[in-house]
Amino acid sequence: MKITGIQVFWMIAIMDIGMTLIMTLTPSLQAAKQDVWISILVSGCITLLVTLITTKTALLYPGQNLIQFSQTILGKWLGKAVVIIYFVQWYTILPIVLRQFTDVIHIMILPATPKAAVMIIMIILIVYVTNSAGIVSIARTTEILGPLIILMILVTLISSINNVDLRYLLPVFADSGLTGIINGAIPPASYLGHSVEYLMLASFLYQPKKGAPYAYWAIITAVFFVLISMTMATVTLGPSLAPKMWYPFFEMSRKISLFGFIENFDPLVIVIWVASVFVKLAIYLFITSYGTAQFLNIKNWRTLTWFIAPVVLLFALIPKNVTEATANYLLHYWVPFVLPVNMIGLPLLLLIVGKARLSSTQAK
Amino acid sequence: MNLRRISFSWLTVFLMLALLTGCWDRTEMDELAFVMASGIDLADDGQVEVTLQIALPTGIPSSLTTGGKAKKPVLVVSAKGKDGMEALGKLQQQLSRRINLGHRGVFVFGEKYARNGIVEAVDTLLRSSESRFNSFILTSSGTTAKEILNSPYQLESIPSIGISNMQDNDFSFSVKTDKFIEMSASLEVSAVTGAIRTINKKTDSETFMIDKSAVYRKNKLVGFLSGKELKAFRLFKGNFNGMRFTVQMEPPKESYKGTVAIQLLQAKTKIRTRIRNGMPEIAVALKATAQIMANDTPTDFNKETNLHSLEKKFSEEMQKEMTSMISRTQNKFKADIVGFGREIHIEHPYFWKKAKSVWADLYTKVPVSVKVDITIERIGRTQAHPNVQAK
Repeated sequence: MKITGIQVFWMIAIMDIGMTLIMTLTPSLQAAKQDVWISILVSGCITLLVTLITTKTALLYPGQNLIQFSQTILGKWLGKAVVIIYFVQWYTILPIVLRQFTDVIHIMILPATPKAAVMIIMIILIVYVTNSAGIVSIARTTEILGPLIILMILVTLISSINNVDLRYLLPVFADSGLTGIINGAIPPASYLGHSVEYLMLASFLYQPKKGAPYAYWAIITAVFFVLISMTMATVTLGPSLAPKMWYPFFEMSRKISLFGFIENFDPLVIVIWVASVFVKLAIYLFITSYGTAQFLNIKNWRTLTWFIAPVVLLFALIPKNVTEATANYLLHYWVPFVLPVNMIGLPLLLLIVGKARLSSTQAK
Repeated sequence: MNLRRISFSWLTVFLMLALLTGCWDRTEMDELAFVMASGIDLADDGQVEVTLQIALPTGIPSSLTTGGKAKKPVLVVSAKGKDGMEALGKLQQQLSRRINLGHRGVFVFGEKYARNGIVEAVDTLLRSSESRFNSFILTSSGTTAKEILNSPYQLESIPSIGISNMQDNDFSFSVKTDKFIEMSASLEVSAVTGAIRTINKKTDSETFMIDKSAVYRKNKLVGFLSGKELKAFRLFKGNFNGMRFTVQMEPPKESYKGTVAIQLLQAKTKIRTRIRNGMPEIAVALKATAQIMANDTPTDFNKETNLHSLEKKFSEEMQKEMTSMISRTQNKFKADIVGFGREIHIEHPYFWKKAKSVWADLYTKVPVSVKVDITIERIGRTQAHPNVQAK
């Protein structure tokens, strides 16, 4: 299983764009109001830092993935403990993303369809794509979906231009202040920080040593599109209404009205969202089952997908309502724990210890 | 390809066919009742009455069926309930097709309902997955929403399409749902909608017209703007397409009425704010260009000086109208419909932080000065004297 750099670029970019766009805009807007664009720039910087640490760490032992090199670097038991922390992240993000996906579909377009039906279709799809050729088939799918998603985001943004009122961005800074902007930067940073999964993806590259620029460009692309999309959502809906909606990006597309007959644009955004969720779920399903198989020394990682998929489905049905699935998970686990520990702390630890270990072995 | 693989791909295809064809929310066109307009009223017994105007597909005359008396193209139904949703549920029970609000172009608040508070309706507009941002919001004036939706309209086969076209064309003051909800959510501006009323009641030519705008304060209707005041307000909103003004230039003489009419070509309002001794001050400046549409005076407007005195007269007149509009919103409605609060927020954000919670009351005491500068760019096709016999 080998993938190219450009495929890694699309995988990370798409995984980041769709989710950040739909899920993190509201908490950001509530904190930073019309200064949300500054927040995104700040979160872009945080994400670049995450990417810097991640790519440097992945370079230490090219050809090994997170599961392997964390044990190489930290020793058997400590390394396993670190891997388990990542497993908690992966095993919880899968059902949550699946649930969020279902919630959006329910709230926006299909209110009468049973939850399980929407979920099962998605689960079948991701199990199929992971099973067919693992990361290779996911990567190739992303290469096709990626440009389409970008194109559709552009179409949505361009057709919203006549709803723009730039005065909504005023006054700058005074309303939110520094704390507001920082608080607004954290939710998108925690979603854009998915570049940490490069730790798993890097080992599949044809040339693991040359993968870093692709990860950087993926993050820059994602931050750029998130930046213009969120700014557009603010200037079309206004800072008094936008923070009150669950999915402001959708609401923006609902406002589109062109030439008197092009209206109700939201299906286009649904497509962006579904494609992006599909990519994200497939990547996570792959790294989760591949990682677990390596961790437990199971030979065929494919058998694990058949075990993980139903578990994910069951877990996805647990949250009682939309607040629990979207807001609580994001604000009580992802932001306070995953962002500082999984995305910055642990990669940094691995990087420092790994560097020290490498230089000491070279000294000998 | 082995057998297992072939059977697997067929299974996938069949699963897709079965599952991906619209799911549980699938509905056919002929199972839907397309609501073109809806209205909400407060009935005399305190219940909420919802009225729907539903398009009848068989009633819309096509080009093929000419002659004969066409059936009525819309069905208007009403029902009462504790709230809008309950009434809607009752309406569904008298309809064989499922109510679909996706194509609703017009939403009308009954005057009585609006005076009692519109929180529930705004919430539903924002919450329901079927409601769209692109429908027009109107308030009925002097009548109920039910009556508006029941009144006939000649020029279009479906009356509500007549309403939404009137609103679309800038002939009247219009507000769409998104804008209305945003105004309701904001502390910086009071909400306004267009106001619709019926005319020529109890006659053959009964119909509706939109010549007012409704002013809301804290989610309750407080009054209507009409006539010159509405014109002045529309200038603020940039909604002045083809707006005309007539002024009494000279006292009437034997063959002249002494009036001049102009049409606005361009208009721009600038709002400047200042904080003095903890109290905001607002200065409004309107710059407009216009052309002469009619001249019923003996004055010759080819002469520069005459044109200047006309410009001056119009500027004074407009200033009076705008000042009276603003003082009416301050004293009678106590509602900042122009959105001066927004300008203060932008120009003095730290003052706004303290003032935003009391702005609705503070506004009534804020001094507002108005300056108008009208330039007449063109005088029409002719240079001739109004009395063409004269030399």
